[in-house]
This record gives sequence, C-alpha cells and structure tokens, in this order.
Amino acid sequence: MEVVPRSPAEKTEAIPPCQVACPIHQDVPGYLAAIAQGNFGEALRLIKDTNPLPSICATICAHPCEAECRRGQVDEALSIRALKRAAVDFGCSPTPPAPAPRGERVAIIGSGPAGLTAAHDLARLGYQVTVFEREAILGGALAQFVPLYRLPRDRIQGDIEGIRALGVEFRTDSALGRDFTVAELKGRGYRAVLLGLGLPLSRSLPLPGFDMKDVWPALPFLRDANLYGRRIQPGKTVIVIGGGNVAIDVARSALRAGAARVRLVCLESPEEMPAFPWEIKEAAEEGVEINCSWGPKRILGEDGQVTSLETVAVKAVFDDQGRFNPTFYEDRTAIFEGDIVIVAIGQAADLSCLKDSDIQVTERGQLIFDPVTLATTAEGVFTCGEVATGPGTAVKAMASGRQAALSIHRYLQGEPLTKVEEPQPLGKLDQGVTAAVIRQERQPVPLLEVAQRIRNFDYIDLGYAVETAVREARRCLSCGAGARRVEDKCIDCLTCVRVCPYEVPVVTPATSVDIRADQCQACGICVMECPARAIAFGSSRFEDMERELEQAMAKVTPGGATPPRLVLFYCYYGVNAPPGLADFLKANITPGVALVKVPCLAKLGVPYLLKAFELGANGVLIVDCGDRECIYAQAALWVRRRMESARRVLEGLGLRKEQIELVCLPEERFQDLGERMSSFSQRLGELVH
Amino acid sequence: MIKGEQKPLPEIQGMIAPYKRVLVLGCGTCVTVCFVGGEKEVAGLASALRLHQRLSKGDKIIEEATVKRQCEREFLAEVARQIQSVDAVLSLACAIGVQAVAECFPTVPVLPGVNTSFLGLIEEPGKWSEVCAACGDCILHLTGGICPITRCAKSLFNGPCGGSVGGKCEISPDIPCAWQLIYDRLAATGRLHLLEEVRPPREWKSFSAAGPRRIVREELRVPAEDEKIRPKG
Repeated sequence: MEVVPRSPAEKTEAIPPCQVACPIHQDVPGYLAAIAQGNFGEALRLIKDTNPLPSICATICAHPCEAECRRGQVDEALSIRALKRAAVDFGCSPTPPAPAPRGERVAIIGSGPAGLTAAHDLARLGYQVTVFEREAILGGALAQFVPLYRLPRDRIQGDIEGIRALGVEFRTDSALGRDFTVAELKGRGYRAVLLGLGLPLSRSLPLPGFDMKDVWPALPFLRDANLYGRRIQPGKTVIVIGGGNVAIDVARSALRAGAARVRLVCLESPEEMPAFPWEIKEAAEEGVEINCSWGPKRILGEDGQVTSLETVAVKAVFDDQGRFNPTFYEDRTAIFEGDIVIVAIGQAADLSCLKDSDIQVTERGQLIFDPVTLATTAEGVFTCGEVATGPGTAVKAMASGRQAALSIHRYLQGEPLTKVEEPQPLGKLDQGVTAAVIRQERQPVPLLEVAQRIRNFDYIDLGYAVETAVREARRCLSCGAGARRVEDKCIDCLTCVRVCPYEVPVVTPATSVDIRADQCQACGICVMECPARAIAFGSSRFEDMERELEQAMAKVTPGGATPPRLVLFYCYYGVNAPPGLADFLKANITPGVALVKVPCLAKLGVPYLLKAFELGANGVLIVDCGDRECIYAQAALWVRRRMESARRVLEGLGLRKEQIELVCLPEERFQDLGERMSSFSQRLGELVH
Repeated sequence: MIKGEQKPLPEIQGMIAPYKRVLVLGCGTCVTVCFVGGEKEVAGLASALRLHQRLSKGDKIIEEATVKRQCEREFLAEVARQIQSVDAVLSLACAIGVQAVAECFPTVPVLPGVNTSFLGLIEEPGKWSEVCAACGDCILHLTGGICPITRCAKSLFNGPCGGSVGGKCEISPDIPCAWQLIYDRLAATGRLHLLEEVRPPREWKSFSAAGPRRIVREELRVPAEDEKIRPKG
C-alpha cells in the first residue's frame, strides 16, 4: 500500500498541549469549559465525540494530558481524569445518529481497548463490524487483568453497550486459531481483519527456583483474583517481582486477597520505576513494602515450599545508551523472606493463533507490520494495540485502534494511506504570564480510607462532587481559546498591549503588534477594549453571549411582560457556576427578568450593557462573583469601568445611571441576591415611571 | 496624532433630529486610537441612538459603517452608495474627515459627532495632552524638544513669565511650566547657552495670520493631461 507523506506546509496550527499529549487527542479544554459551566451533558458529548470508552478512561486513564497541562507551570495541573469521571457520572448525552450503512464487513479479533476503539470507529463509518473475543467476557486486558478496585466492571460494560448500540456484533468464546482462521473469516465475507491480540502471556525468569509451585505468573493471578475471587491463604507473605504498573496491581491485589504482608522487589530505583507515581504512592499507603534496586538471583525453598528470594544489589538498570542492561554488585546480596512469589516482569504476545496463516512473524516471534498503516504481511489484515505497540496504557492502545480503523477504511475505499500528521502543542507559558495567573489550588480527588481499601476489591476512587468538579474545571487556562489579531483591521493602536493583564500582546518589528496566541489566557478584556474591533476570539464565547441576550430578551419582551424588564448578567463560573446560582435563579426568577450567562465578566463589554436596553430592558443587574473567585485578575476592575461608561451613556439619553447596578456575591450568599433583585426591581419601577 | 472628544449625546441628538435615516460613520485612524471614532465607538453611539429612538418612540433608522480613513476620497468610495442612501451622515472622524466627506458628497448633510481637540500625545492610557499647534515654523531644536507655543499658557518665546512657581504654571498646579521643562531639558543636554539668545518676535504668516494654509509640491502632483507621456504609435 502507498504511503503519501504530508508536505510540511500542511502543518496544522498548534493546539493545547493536553490535547496533543492525549493519544486520541480529546478536546480537553472543550469539555473542561463545559464542566466549568456546570454543563456535564455537553462535556460528555464532547468526550464521546472522540472517545468510545469514556467510562473506562474516566476511571483508569493514565492521563498523559495532566503531565503537559500548562497550569502545572503556575501551580498544579488540572485533575483532568477526575473531571472526565465527573462528566461521565453527572452528564447525559444523546447517542449520535446512526451512520449510513456500508456493505463491507470487518472482523476484529480481540475486545481490548484497541479492538473496541477500532470497532467503534469503523461502525461509525458505517461498516458491519464483528468483534471476536476468545474469553467468555468482553474487554480484553481491562476485564481480565485490571484490578476491580481500579475499574469496576459495570464501567466496562457501559462503554461496550455504547459500541454495541452502533450495531457492532460481539462474539465471546471465539478464539482465532482454535475456532476459526483468518482465511475462513475472509471466506465468510469479511473484507478486512484486525488483530488486536494484546499481550496476554506473563514473562518469567530462567533463574533457579522459579519453577516452584508457589511462584506464580502475574497475569493469571490477576485474572483469577478479578474473575474468580482468588484468595491468598491467610498469614502468607507475598513477594512481587517487578516495578511496573502490573507489579503494583499484583501487590495491591495480593493485599486485598488476604496476604499478611506484601513485599515488592524491583531492579529500578524509585525514580526509575516504570509504574505511575500515584500508583506507587497509593500502594505504599496501603502497606506494600517497596524494595528498590534489587535484582532477583534465585528463589530458595524447603520441601518444595518457597522460603525466600535472594537478590543482588543493582549497580545500574540501563547502559550508557539508555538500553535495559542491568549490572549488579555481585558481592552485595539481600534475602527477602516470603511464602509466595508473583513474577510481574513483563508480558508477551501469544501468536500461536497465527500458525499456518500467511501473516508473517519475525524469528523472535514478533508480528511483522507497517508502522504507519498497521497492515500485516497478509492482504487486508491489520493489527493494533499492545501486540503492535508493546506494553502501554489503555488510551495508547485506543489510539492504535483508531489508526488501524482509519487504515482499514482507506484500504476498503481504495484510498492512499496518508500518514496522519501529529498536531503540534502550544509552547510553554512565559514567566511573565505565569506570574500574572492567579493561583488556584487543585481539588484533591477523594479516595476511600486506606483501612477500608485493603479489606476488599471495592472501587477506591470516590470521585468529585458536582461543586468540586465545577471548581476544578474552572482552573483550566483555556489554552489556545483566546485572542487573535485581525490583521486587516488592526491599526496598531497598542490598546491590547496596554490593557492585557498578562503582557501577552507585544510590539515586534516584524508584525507591529503580536498577540501571542500561545500565551493568551482568554480573559477577553482586549477584545472588548479594542477600538478598531480588530481582535477575534478563538472560541464562540462572545457570539454565544450575544445570542443568549437576544433569546432571553425575546422571551421577556413580547406580549408585554410586566415592566420593569430586567436583564441579569451573571458570570457562570466560580461560585456562580451551577448548581449554585443558576439553580437559585431558576427557582426564584420573576417574570420580566432575563438571565444572561457571561463567561466571566471580563468579557461583558459596554455594547452588551447598552444592547440590553436597546432590546427593551429597563434595568441591568450585573452579578459579580467576587474577586477571590475570579481566575482573571482584572475582571472586576474592567466590569466596573464599563458599567460607568454605560451609565454615562444612559445619563446622556436622559435615563438614570441607577438603571445599571452591580452586585458582588460572595460565596453561598445567593439568598442576598433575591433581595437585591427585588429591591432593584422596585426602585426601577419608581425610576421608569 | 489628532485627538478628539465625542460630542455630548444631547447635542448629537439635536443635530440628527431633522433626519430619519442616519449613518454613523467611523474612521479607522487617529480617532480610533483616541477612542472616539473607531468601529467600537461607532457601535456604541449607534446603540445609544437606537436606544433613544426606542425610548422616545422615534422612527429613525441608525446605520453604522467605518472606513479606513475618512480624509481620503478613495476610502470613502466603499461607502459611497450607503452615504447617498441616507438623509445625513454623523461623522465620528476629526474635522478633516468630516470636511472630506462633505466635499465628496455635497448633497448629503454631514454632521460632526466629534470635537477635534488638538494634536497630542498619550501620557498614559486614558490621558492625552496637546503638544503641537501646527504653527508651521518649528523651533523645537531651540527649546529642548518642548513646544512653548502649545505648552506655555502664554505661548511665550522668551520665558518663563513671573507666574512660574515651583515648576508649575500659574493657571493650574497640574500644568507644568513649559519654560521650566525647557530649562531642565536644555540643562540636561548641556545647551543652556541657547537661552542666552533672545528670540525676536516671529513671523506668524506660517500659522494663521495669512489665511488658510496650503502646501503644494509640484513633483508629487498627478500629471496634467498634456504632461503625460504617451506610448508612441
């Protein structure tokens, strides 16, 4: 198949680094903005747009997005995974309409995250997809190996049902090589076959004692614990060999399965351990003893029973070239006593199912495939997931499933297999910008108490409450959503340079004024202040606000709602975000009051205030969230200035400046607003008569 | 740049009172920079006028447009049709723009929405001050880059006067004495000797004493028909 490289000129605009870091490039700022407004349904809709496994990712995603989050330069990264969980827990989004069906059938072998993603993508393109799973349950490694305390199984089920609803057919207990062959699938009309075989085999070590009865491979232990409730005899000490995520899963599962003591032994130093830091931290909290920089030498036993693991001290795990090549201090040894050893040092593919097929495998037993198209050596047969990428995260496997689905689509449509250009991330924030961004603490994700955790396999993550999720999402810096200079309108008046609280616009010899889009914090102050209206915004927030004003006024004006007609502009973030203020307003609103949500009062310019009167209002009440809550330092200043400007216009027209008022609402004081609203209405009534 | 201020709304309302269809016409240059006549100000004023119509149950139609520079007829071409379709143009340009529009469209009443104030400098955002009177005979080289004609309340050429107290002008403690500024600047640049020369009364012909001023540069003029070189044959 032909691979057409893209020309460098086609490079796309830089996008937020969280979105780039996400292997499936989820619109993170988009769904965080929706959550910040309390709109969990919209957040879930945006998530589902690119993610077929929202519940699974909301639960176990390794969130590479968070490592790149630019708020991390200011204080701490957004808690993006937990926010996705909040969207899934509190949101409800309609299923998108079914695509026009195509005739071609596609078979997918394996129902892990890669296979499921490919199934979803191909089904959305209209293909008839069948997923074959050799086990009795769907979900691949997620269902078999990921511990229940990390991923409750109803979450897997929920996502799979979403894919089934697209028309995907699932067949369990159907193993390639045992129940059917690739050739047979083709004979049955499948035009393409995708191998998402995973890495279901545990690796072991060819060392003395590793053949003893109580030396267990990691994956079967995890599967048995998850599916069959396997327990460990009380009083036993379990030694886990390995420093990766599977080793941590094994150690924490062993504790829950009844082990008296769990001792993890790994080659790596604490910094080198491949397991995620939060997993290591939680394991340690639960009492897993972590012994770093020891290499297994042999397992000692008596009468066939394991008594201890002998280890040697590690000099270095990696060589000068960074390759895995451990060296040891042979004279420094340590003995770890224990009754059971579980080996979690790596996984391997099981390609026995490809025997006698035309799908080629290397001498070392690895599948041969094109890294761009993921096509194997057999016509119409593709691969995806860990069997192709090596061990990795679920979301990485999903990305590979997506890549394979695209290749299959192009293959079936006879299109060239163009390499998809990876998006470029926005650069780091300048120090001047980070210094001006208001610090806001990351909301911790509540977990079960340790004592409660280790008793059973219950899900330990309690998730955010609605209010906490909204507050956390509000911390998002909306990277890339901000101001853009409209070249043919800008007259280089320097207003933006002067009003920006973050010193984002700069004067350069090359372009006169450069509003550095990668640095912009999207407060919108410059957009409203630019006298030439030469600043565009990277999202539709201003247009949305204008539309909402018109719609809200249309509701209160026709048919002559009882005057006074009042427009209430309120910031929908911070303390004002649902379910606080908006719910209060819904319950307490009186006829003749139009509610208009504003994405921070920094964006409420004079034109909107005047427009309210132009559309028939007699009064405008601006509800400020209070300085402490606003993420934009100078929003409160500008809204007051603009209010004064609008008041001067009213006075020039013979109206009263008191027809615009501002109320600053400290936290939890919505009932005060009720009083302010009614007294304002009353005064307005007197004023306009 | 030229600085101006928007006229008070009641005055503007009075000006447009006789007309039904009014175009609020902005200018994208000096008046945009000083926040009186750019696209944003046009929108704000138009909105206010519409609001007034709603309140007074009037039937005026308020239109909006902004051109790059009202003082150039080429930029006015893009709104020519619109101008000819309205009953009056309320120009938010400086007086130069207002006159240019009036000259280009002699049948359409053109009304000034802005008072052209002075040639000035931004001191800080929201604060401008006059620094040049366009007198036509610049002496800034003798006065340390500070114009005594605009910045001295008496436009003295051999200052300061006896009203200079503590570096401030006697007319207001907020106004620095221009001659104190000149002295300080000349001292800082080692040119105090310039003050020893007495400046004789100047010729005011270059200012306004000789009627409206005009500059003509033949080399820049569009060639007349008989001057044009035509291709042979």
